[in-house]
Amino acid sequence: MYQPHTNRRIPRAIGFNATPMIDVIFLLTVFFMLVSTFARKENAPMKLPDPLASRAKDIDLPDRIVINCRLGDPSASVAGATLYSIGPNAPESLDVIDRRLAGMKQQSPDIKVIIRADRRLDYRDVRDVMRVVAANDIKMLNVAAHTGEGE
Amino acid sequence: MTPRESNTGWRTVGRPAGNELPAPRPRTRFRKHRSVPIAVNIAPMIDVTFLLLIFFLVTTTFGRPEGILASKLPSDTGAPTVALPLAPIVVRLSPAGSDGCRIDIDNYSTVPEDFEQLAVCLMEIQKLPGFDSETPVVIKANDDVQWDHVVNAWNAAVRCEFTNVAFSDSGGSP
Repeated sequence: MYQPHTNRRIPRAIGFNATPMIDVIFLLTVFFMLVSTFARKENAPMKLPDPLASRAKDIDLPDRIVINCRLGDPSASVAGATLYSIGPNAPESLDVIDRRLAGMKQQSPDIKVIIRADRRLDYRDVRDVMRVVAANDIKMLNVAAHTGEGE
Repeated sequence: MTPRESNTGWRTVGRPAGNELPAPRPRTRFRKHRSVPIAVNIAPMIDVTFLLLIFFLVTTTFGRPEGILASKLPSDTGAPTVALPLAPIVVRLSPAGSDGCRIDIDNYSTVPEDFEQLAVCLMEIQKLPGFDSETPVVIKANDDVQWDHVVNAWNAAVRCEFTNVAFSDSGGSP
């Protein structure tokens, strides 16, 4: 007997092709593994100076001591007071930092100081730190700034 | 022996004729192993890859790279340790406007309008007789000048290949 042709679809199993997804995931993973440079714990987040055609160089100094100078919280008890800290430590007064530097200088005479100061600070706030550094007979000073890369 | 049987007793190709029973299969000495298809289980690899991907996605913050500019500090203990020659280049910075900065160079007629011009002026001074890249550049800034401007002046001197750039403890007003 003649049966008319119908458009009955052949049932197919629904599948999930994971290959492109794995490709993309691998690509992303490799990208992140290549471009990631882990931030140093001693570097507090702040807006660093951004000089024109910067000549700042990414140098890994041995025996480095980082002094962070950050803008104070406007809502703090002493509004706008600059916060000074050595590395990842909590903010301290300049007198305490002075004593700590003296101790470090005794232990390792070749220490290098890097001042990381927020670009919005006044010069007087950073100069106070410079005076402390100079008082501890540390002649060379390094200042952190953005490099010319990534502009 | 019928034509359908070989010497070994294995049945040859073809249909058995009539009521002939198939020849018994001889027993083999070794048991035949069932072949297992070789496959790599990629599930743990994908697990680790996902873990790495999520870690990087969560922890990555794209920050601009930072570096350091080296300089010398004034010493406040006794006599200065660095003997300055008679004619250092003194760059003075004083506040102008809300966030601006006025730049002056001692004994130099041109007043740079910005730090790009400061670099140009310093380059011109370096070419004058009696000056070279080892001539000290002293940056004197007022208390109220933003740190960003001070670093900009410093960077301008470094751009001109001056090797002896220093800060002064005194103010920047001419």
